[in-house]
Amino acid sequence: MTRYVIRRLLYVILVILVITFISYVVFFLMPSGNPAVQFAGKSPTKALIHQIEKQFGLNHPWYVQYGIFVKHLFLGDQYGWPGFGESYNTREPVKNELFSRAWVTFQLAVGAAVVWLAMGIPIGIVSALRRRTLIDRASMGFALFGVSAPVFVLGLLSLWIFWQHLRILPGTGYTSFSSNPAEWFLQFLQPWVVLSLLFAAFYARMVRGNLLETMSEDYIRTARAKGLPERRVVFKHGLRASLTPVVTMFGMDFGLLLGGAIITETVFNLPGLGTYVVQAVNDQNLPAVVGVVVLAAFFVAFFNLVVDILYAYLDPRVRYS
Amino acid sequence: MSKKRYLGLGALVLVFALIAAACGGGGGGGGTSAQGNAGNVKKGGTFRVATEDFGFTGAFDPTDEYLGEAWGMYTNMLVRTLLTYKHTAGPAGNVLVPDLATSVPQPTDGGKTYTFHLKNGIKFGPPVNREITSKDILYAFQRIACKTCGAEYGFYYSVIKGLKPGAMPGDPGKIKIPGIETPDDKTIVFHLTQPTGDFLYRLAMPATGPIPQEVAHCFTKAGDYGRYVISSGPYMIAGSDKLNIKNGCSGMKPISGYQPSKELDFVRNPNYDPSTDSPDVRANYVDGVTITIDTNTKDIWNKVQQNALDGEISHIQPDTLAQYQSNPDLKKNLHINSGDRTWYITMNLTQPPFDDIHVRKAMNYVIDKQALRKAWGGPASGDIATHIMPPTMTGGHPTAAEYDPYKTPNDQGDVQKAMAEMKQSKYDTNHDGKCDASVCKRVLFLNRGDNPTWTNMEPTVVADAKKIGINLVPRELATSAAYTTLQTVNKNIPISLVPGWGKDYPDPYTFVYTLFHSSSILCQGNVNYSLVGLTPSQAKECGVKGDISNVPSADKELDKCEPLTGDQRTQCWVAADKFIMEDIVPWVPYLWSSVIQATSDAVTNFDFDQFSGTWAYSKIAVDPSKQQ
Amino acid sequence: MGQTASDAIVAAEHGAVVEQEGVRGRSPWQLFWYRFRQDKLALTGLIIIVLLGVLAAIAPLISHGIVHHGPNQLFSNTMLTQGGIPKGPNGQFWFGADSAGRDLFVRVLYGTQTSLEVAVIATGFAVLIGTVIGLIAGYFGGAIDTLLSRTMDVVLSMPLLLFAIGIVAACSTTIQGCPIGPLHLTPGLPIVIFVIALFSWPYIGRIVRGNTLSLAQKEFVEAARSLGASNARIMFREIFPNLVAPILVYSSLIVPSNIIFEASLSYLGLGVPQSIPSWGRELSDASDWFTVAWWMLVFPGFFLVLTTLSFNLLGDGLRDALDPRTGR
Repeated sequence: MTRYVIRRLLYVILVILVITFISYVVFFLMPSGNPAVQFAGKSPTKALIHQIEKQFGLNHPWYVQYGIFVKHLFLGDQYGWPGFGESYNTREPVKNELFSRAWVTFQLAVGAAVVWLAMGIPIGIVSALRRRTLIDRASMGFALFGVSAPVFVLGLLSLWIFWQHLRILPGTGYTSFSSNPAEWFLQFLQPWVVLSLLFAAFYARMVRGNLLETMSEDYIRTARAKGLPERRVVFKHGLRASLTPVVTMFGMDFGLLLGGAIITETVFNLPGLGTYVVQAVNDQNLPAVVGVVVLAAFFVAFFNLVVDILYAYLDPRVRYS
Repeated sequence: MSKKRYLGLGALVLVFALIAAACGGGGGGGGTSAQGNAGNVKKGGTFRVATEDFGFTGAFDPTDEYLGEAWGMYTNMLVRTLLTYKHTAGPAGNVLVPDLATSVPQPTDGGKTYTFHLKNGIKFGPPVNREITSKDILYAFQRIACKTCGAEYGFYYSVIKGLKPGAMPGDPGKIKIPGIETPDDKTIVFHLTQPTGDFLYRLAMPATGPIPQEVAHCFTKAGDYGRYVISSGPYMIAGSDKLNIKNGCSGMKPISGYQPSKELDFVRNPNYDPSTDSPDVRANYVDGVTITIDTNTKDIWNKVQQNALDGEISHIQPDTLAQYQSNPDLKKNLHINSGDRTWYITMNLTQPPFDDIHVRKAMNYVIDKQALRKAWGGPASGDIATHIMPPTMTGGHPTAAEYDPYKTPNDQGDVQKAMAEMKQSKYDTNHDGKCDASVCKRVLFLNRGDNPTWTNMEPTVVADAKKIGINLVPRELATSAAYTTLQTVNKNIPISLVPGWGKDYPDPYTFVYTLFHSSSILCQGNVNYSLVGLTPSQAKECGVKGDISNVPSADKELDKCEPLTGDQRTQCWVAADKFIMEDIVPWVPYLWSSVIQATSDAVTNFDFDQFSGTWAYSKIAVDPSKQQ
Repeated sequence: MGQTASDAIVAAEHGAVVEQEGVRGRSPWQLFWYRFRQDKLALTGLIIIVLLGVLAAIAPLISHGIVHHGPNQLFSNTMLTQGGIPKGPNGQFWFGADSAGRDLFVRVLYGTQTSLEVAVIATGFAVLIGTVIGLIAGYFGGAIDTLLSRTMDVVLSMPLLLFAIGIVAACSTTIQGCPIGPLHLTPGLPIVIFVIALFSWPYIGRIVRGNTLSLAQKEFVEAARSLGASNARIMFREIFPNLVAPILVYSSLIVPSNIIFEASLSYLGLGVPQSIPSWGRELSDASDWFTVAWWMLVFPGFFLVLTTLSFNLLGDGLRDALDPRTGR
């Protein structure tokens, strides 16, 4: 088990290296102008541009920059470990900005995850058990709509209806929990629900499909034949097997979300990683871009690992080798 | 100043027309530049402002910083300079007054020597707490010269004898500048290499304000001093008094009142002595100013309407502007002022088909400037630009205000006149008024992609150019990438809607000279986008691909003006503007934009800082009882 | 919803069994068509898609022949207020005007072209790449499989919207665009298609690999091998025909997500340029204007959701019809 975890951790590091390498190629090598020029004033002299390049470390060839970046990432830089460098815009450590932005994204992701699990799984179960009834049809209709409607359409519609016309929910923006808990909740309600709809729909469909399949398996028939009450059959035997794939899926989705929900954050103007990275790309603030990429890749790889380990407990058939 | 913000201006003479447009003629203050009810104006309270993003170009280090909003904060609150402005709206706000200096001096030695005497009793704020001397001003110039410090507008000071901006190595405190003498603590003398008619304006720019070496010697990399700025003005960054300067450089932690991704707070500087200043220049009503970051534009404007904020540093969106204009309660809190800024389409003189002057003139005739202004929110957003310099820059010179060489009915474009010009072009071989050469089939047109104003203007420009046979292929980039691309000469961008230009100080030098003199062409970071006056060696060095044989120059016209002073100087610049518009035609100017600001009901005195194009913080007063 | 579909199938299967006794055998495709025909929702989806396709094809006819407005024609004098606010629907402008003063109805109509074009072409490329790579990985196994599978994993764990933004931003500064190998990616449609294909092929790749892995163990493959067939022949002649069904199902399911991908890129201002109408672009404009111009949000939003919904209905129907064991 320990060896397996270590091997997987090494793999996580490898993935991060590969992805950061690709981001260096995409963002540093492709020709979109010299970022140093932007921070050198209106009519910069060559000397000044060179000075800024030096300060930003842009005077080295890109592969050397990549090497320095990797070194700082693993060994730390002047701002400690892990080293993400300094933001071109604010000259603040990217690390601090990343963490404060990640906190907002985290609140969005956790809230949305609660909503989509609370919606998706029960809907899926009820649909499967009440197969071919009105409830099932309505649920699956909702699910189909959920997977078809892009977040920005739902988000804008929601703002249009609940904020502009009904005036029952606040508009876009972010309020911290500590400053006003009620406002915080209302402010997050729309992004949580809108973001979670897509996932809720996927999960409902998946749970329904899995449960239907499981319920037709032999051991369920056996359980029923033993005279167990239906409730017990479903919840003890049926659900356990059909929820295991949901766990995998959840790990992937949650990891991906933590890296920044670009569209949701843009629509609702949340100062999370998603809006941060869009701003950073627009400003050619390369250290910030790469910082978000690293964080995003890390979350995905990390949650995959967590899920695989969880699997061992949920599904005794899985053994690590 | 930096172009990052969407500041703008309406022509001085036409400001009143603007006001009428903004208020619908109704009285009640909306649109007036300075307003206030003397009876109501009380000291105290906090002026609360929000912005989407500070957008500082030099991390708020006064030596480097080139952003208008930052200049407004320095000149009103934080950094006193030898000379300054009255921090008010309109022409009065463009007049120099003494600040650290006892008077505005006359040059001697044929316009080459300027001598200043410093007032007594002006001290640095905490924790430095000592009298400001001429050495502290010298140190600011040493930082401008310093190689590592990253001064962004050092080129204005290369006229000082022996000062090589951003090129002198070593500790700035040890740099020798033969052109600056400090015979005693209260006297400073500048020796120039040539008479420079606008030199005094350059001494009112924030980079020249005094900097205490005992703190700043620790921060000699570009932008580093931004979080340790020691005040010489009426306010200081909150928490400055907690800065520990006793334990050397390593003991200093950034001042707590400035957090680059969160807030910038100012409180009164206890060492400021109002008797060294004048209430006309700085009245300092409020006890503090807080500027917080809120990435959400709509939220900012809502909070101003709800009196939860007192002001904004944010570009008004057209739907919000419409809302303000249709509601009298809101309209009285809207302030529209000239921003001394021109927005234009730039055409590259080396790239076909714009290497032909007739094509460039045809473009000036064909563009529907009214439609472009609609994308900005209509008449309230400014005046249609008819030539290069906003008329305020030439002191409301009468011929300059009315000058309109490419007049079209209602500024909506005139296809007939445009086609008549096009017919004379070498690219219209059959003389039907439409470009028929292959170079017109795909012409790269650079635009901003992240701003609705620009994306809404784009189809108008494309459709209008098509009327004279030019097929523009738009490329949209985020604003800063668009600027860096346009400023990189070897990208050879033929035409672009990206740029606007604002003054650095109220002299045309910062407009026409910097923009059109051949010496301002740089391979990277170039702002002479049209490449006016490009020399063959520059073309080679910067990688210009195109025809450089027909590139006209304005150097002769521009060089004439720089040594002149007074009305002669103004006349000369007006003539240069005319020459550029008719004999070179590098632009299609379309808007002299105004600065639109909104205040809450709590603001009892408002004024606009004409110099920096932003809030006159030192003149704002609030009534805390009306704040939410 | 899927329920009605499966009801139909179950009924159909029973019927089929009865009918088949002693009458005639049916090919799997006939069987598929028989099942699919019964699925009313999937058929509705198909019909809407066909209608949208027709609309896209005749967009120029409608815009020039009926409403007499071009997609890039400006009406800033009549359809924008003095302050630049767009005006709403009327007899001439059925969907009102957008913020640049263009006819929104015509823009939305032409947007159909863009969405379908991008989605179908990008999905085509993704399927092509995914199939080839998935086949190779699944068939050869070993180190090749590890390398290719890991590549797919990495691509899938990349923050794709972010990379898409980076690539699009980098390729927009010159008129030629980006030279990537032999390809010259010009900004606009080509680059959007490239980016979408680049990030969606692994979905197909994984499915194909998985199926190939099990098919490669089957007897008919052994048989072909013992007859001396080359690897290429086995992969494309023996295995591939068995993959058509899953590929069809999954490509019909990634079409809607690719439509959303394009719209998202355009929503962030990085998709197709202004001159090409796109629903995502219209919606992005709407985000600044919906407080005063609801039509800019409602019409493009409706068409976008209608299209993705139809493709999802079709995809579900195809899956049920091709593989009735999916528990429906």
